[in-house]
Amino acid sequence: MIVFDHVGKRYAESVAVGDLSLEVRDGEIVIFVGPSGCGKTTSLKMINRLVEPTSGMITIDGRDTRSRDVNELRRSIGYVIQQVGLFPHLTVAENVATVPRLAGWDRQRIGARVEELLDLVGLPPQTYAKRLPAELSGGERQRVGVARALGADPPILLMDEPFGAIDPIARDRLQDELLRLQRVVRKTIVFVTHDIDEAVKLGDRIALMSRGGALEQYATPAELLAHPASAFVEGFLGEGRMVRRLSLITLRDVQLPKPDGARLPEESVDAGASLRDALDAVLRAPDGRVQVVDSGQVIGVVDAEAIREASR
Amino acid sequence: MWTHLQIVAICMAVATTTGVALGLVVARWQGLATVILAVTSTILTVPSFALFGLLSIWVGLGNPPVEVGLTLYALLPITRNTRAGILAVEPSVVEAARGMGMSRRQVLTRVELPLAVPVVLAGIRQATVMIVAIATVGAAVGANDLGQPIFTAIGRSTGTLDRVLAGIVPVAAIGILADLVLAGVQRLLSRGRVAVAAT
Repeated sequence: MIVFDHVGKRYAESVAVGDLSLEVRDGEIVIFVGPSGCGKTTSLKMINRLVEPTSGMITIDGRDTRSRDVNELRRSIGYVIQQVGLFPHLTVAENVATVPRLAGWDRQRIGARVEELLDLVGLPPQTYAKRLPAELSGGERQRVGVARALGADPPILLMDEPFGAIDPIARDRLQDELLRLQRVVRKTIVFVTHDIDEAVKLGDRIALMSRGGALEQYATPAELLAHPASAFVEGFLGEGRMVRRLSLITLRDVQLPKPDGARLPEESVDAGASLRDALDAVLRAPDGRVQVVDSGQVIGVVDAEAIREASR
Repeated sequence: MWTHLQIVAICMAVATTTGVALGLVVARWQGLATVILAVTSTILTVPSFALFGLLSIWVGLGNPPVEVGLTLYALLPITRNTRAGILAVEPSVVEAARGMGMSRRQVLTRVELPLAVPVVLAGIRQATVMIVAIATVGAAVGANDLGQPIFTAIGRSTGTLDRVLAGIVPVAAIGILADLVLAGVQRLLSRGRVAVAAT
């Protein structure tokens, strides 16, 4: 667990982060999101001490980060940045091997680890291991960046707008892959973005910040969209938040009306579908009703009213 | 000819070590960079004939003033290029390296220096070619190099061309050869770094 305890960062003439307190639970993806200049990147960099706080304390699993050797601390925290920062004179494999090498692993173990990681991020080692960064596309480079950050299997991963410079289609795919990857590796991930849609899609929890690192709201995406804590949050979320929220909830998550004696509707939707998909099915159905099916069994019936109830 | 080569080799060895070290220092401290680059540039504007003469006051005649003078000349291109090479490394690459837990020294030896090598070598190459030629002037203060035949030719009525050529041809040959060899080394060590140089 990463804990920010009244953390601040003041420069001579400005306050980047005033007084930030929050907890990042193990195995969760926490998104720091907010307009530019809100201190989200500064907050992230204080975790691996690329920026040193001027007040307060950050602990990881109860230990003050300042009590640890800074280089050893950083080797236990994966770090991914927007510009990727691959070493241009080293091959993909050598880049990925960076942290294991610093940690003094033996050759064989490094080799096996590099292959495993390249497979994990979807870059077959036979094709990619010997390439140089200049020979890769933007998306491929960032995959190598992620593989490199996971090098020595750190429990924590910091990602600073990792997909910010990538075209929308590739970005969407990388986001899906990050979620897939996270199901396998279960890291504690702190992820910075200014894109609220990215935050809602990837986050288990979102820390929405305004100028000076002020924490406007810290909540799950569904909670954030349903109950914005302030006008600032509501403004930042933008249009159509209740409709967007529907994508975050599956039919399985909510209480559904049981099928009453009445005739079952012909159309059906899987219980794993989101409320958004269910609403779409309802709107398409001739009588505005759809049966919900879970492993071949009808577990309920939804109509527009049921979805409205469920989304509250 | 051997003395000429020897003088150049000694100067380049000393100038490379000092120049790279100076370059690293001035890449970190901009204030110092202005001063050191100004001083080294000024040295380069002093005519070699005058510089050697001046140095002979302190270190005597013969090879020593030439060796000291040439080393000073070679310093500027090497220092300047080392600094430029280090500063040309993408800040994001350095940030990633720091973020992964490399110490300052490791960032320098594993990332910054390897990436700066092509630019540093270009400076070394430029300096070498330059001092191979300037070394001939050293004969004026008694250095036993390829300037000797050239100087003895001055003022003679016969055999002038032969003597001048006896100096110039080997000097040019050494210069061209050194340039080619260093260009080759530079190319060899630049693989994969071309992209850095371009951005």
